[in-house]
Amino acid sequence: MRTTIPGQPALAYLLGGSLLFLVTGIIVTTGLPGWLAPPPSPGARQYTPEEALGRRVYIREGCGYCHTQQVRAPEAEHGYTMRPGDIGPESQPGDYAYQAPVLWGTERQGPDLTFTARRHPDREWHLAHLRDPQAIAFGSIMPAFAHLPDAALEALATYLLTLQ
Amino acid sequence: MRSPVEGAPQAQSTTPASAPSAGGRPLAPDQAARWFIYSAVLWFLVAGLVGLLLAAFLYTPNVQSFIPEPWRGPLNFGRLRPMHVNVLLFGWLSMLYAAAFLYLTPRLTSTPLWSERLARWTCLLWNLLMLGAVVSLPLGFTQGREYAELVWPLDLLQTALFLMLALNVWGTVLRRREPRLYVSVWNFMAASLIIALVYAFGNKIWDVSGAYVGMNDAIVNYFYVHNLFNVWFTTGGLGIALYLIPRLSGNPLFSHRLAIWGFASVWAGQHHLLYAPGPDWLEFVSIAFSILAAIPNTAFGVNFVMTMRGAWHRVTHDVPLAWVATGASMYLLTCAQGVAQSFRDFSLLVHFTNWVIGHSHLVFVGAYSAYGFALVYHLLGRIDGARFDPRLQWWHYGLTMGGLWVFLLTLWSAGLIQGQNWATGAIPFLATVRSLQPYHLVRLLAGLIMAVGQLLFAYQVWRAFRGRASAETA
Repeated sequence: MRTTIPGQPALAYLLGGSLLFLVTGIIVTTGLPGWLAPPPSPGARQYTPEEALGRRVYIREGCGYCHTQQVRAPEAEHGYTMRPGDIGPESQPGDYAYQAPVLWGTERQGPDLTFTARRHPDREWHLAHLRDPQAIAFGSIMPAFAHLPDAALEALATYLLTLQ
Repeated sequence: MRSPVEGAPQAQSTTPASAPSAGGRPLAPDQAARWFIYSAVLWFLVAGLVGLLLAAFLYTPNVQSFIPEPWRGPLNFGRLRPMHVNVLLFGWLSMLYAAAFLYLTPRLTSTPLWSERLARWTCLLWNLLMLGAVVSLPLGFTQGREYAELVWPLDLLQTALFLMLALNVWGTVLRRREPRLYVSVWNFMAASLIIALVYAFGNKIWDVSGAYVGMNDAIVNYFYVHNLFNVWFTTGGLGIALYLIPRLSGNPLFSHRLAIWGFASVWAGQHHLLYAPGPDWLEFVSIAFSILAAIPNTAFGVNFVMTMRGAWHRVTHDVPLAWVATGASMYLLTCAQGVAQSFRDFSLLVHFTNWVIGHSHLVFVGAYSAYGFALVYHLLGRIDGARFDPRLQWWHYGLTMGGLWVFLLTLWSAGLIQGQNWATGAIPFLATVRSLQPYHLVRLLAGLIMAVGQLLFAYQVWRAFRGRASAETA
């Protein structure tokens, strides 16, 4: 078996180099931030079983594809959801200390939900909105979740009320 | 100085003999590659149709009222979106890549495939994986991490499948008769092996939940997503393009040395998470690497344009070549856009908007699916002796690219408007949603145009399949 090619680097060097590059990449990108991670924020929440159940419903129904849970520095206290600046303060790494997975999201077809409970502290509002979004928010493109069992909706509302 | 390898795709015209399998009867070559192609097209149709439904949902959630009550859970936007993404990426594109690796590696090394039997098992199990994805995601089985939604058993299966593919590629290369390795083979070797590692790590396959804890979960998630694109789709896709461009244009590759330069990698994914609650230094490292990616991208661009010298006129009467040239051009546009998006200022404007959805369709439809269409036509022509009707082929091309450009321009416009509206801090969020409705309608219509094109494509593939089947029974 030939491992070298005329005019080309040796296979062993290429493989070794690539592997080194990959391992360095993994360590710097993922290991280092983990070791340097700040401690949990004072407000970081450890979920009760009911809240955790609601969070699983949030994940299962794919809420995170349209709603983010992170406020970026330049938009903090500036972004407009219901009132000017009500998007909330900048998110900190420690806020997510007890979450697995985190639900940062990558798209906002709907508003950021990091502080949704500050804007809507009312449980009944959330339940009604989940069952028929257009009745509460005219022009919303959120699908209705009236087909979910009541227990799932209650748990989901409980979870949404933790977002404050 | 040109090395003799440069003409490799032309030099390999002979079909290697069928693989002598260990102990058993020899299996006919290329059948796994063939099954991979037909399977990929099937999953393409399923996931494409789902995409159309998603576009309808965004235009008006009233589509729900057309769905029978018991199906509203499985057929809701939030459950179908990961299915659209996963089945297109791991079904359509990845299965085509597998077909290309299994078909091209033997040609480029003048060696029979290491194990046709293993390749057929790979194809069978890959279809099982996709069946699992199509059933489990609408039923709500998800790990909730973007591009990593598939549940634990499917994660294990996907990792095993990448390794099985790598085993076949590496086994063939290590037993090769042709001492010189064409650049595409390097790409296939790297892509198939490294993606297995990246996938295993990114999906945390040793943990049923598949999630890391806290901020690091997002960092690893986007390290994985970025390298899924970079290590698998880009590296594999470049290998395919660097084979098809010389092969279909009839010109030798302009520079093999330059192509090797294109064999470079960006490993940090944090430029997908700018201004996110993560470390700033990681964002800066990521941005630096994103800018450095201009080197391999330029290398590929020069190679593409120079190899096509004197052959540009052929794109008007050779559809597969037209698709490859389109794919390469769209790829270069993606790279330019990608670098722009990795700057904080621009990211702040367009991140979270429809712009990003446009970007991902630019690369996955415009670039990699374009290579995919060329591959399907080329490989079915080689393996099944399929002859395609150029009129249908051009209709497919025109509808796909016409629909795609309308789709992209709509989403980019919508994204810029969204971003500007949010930045003012003076418009209620719901008003920005309402203002997007016309864009969602155009997007849906563009999707319909593309869908008609894909039905034409599927019809042609069906005819190739039927033609082969009737030839076998005759």
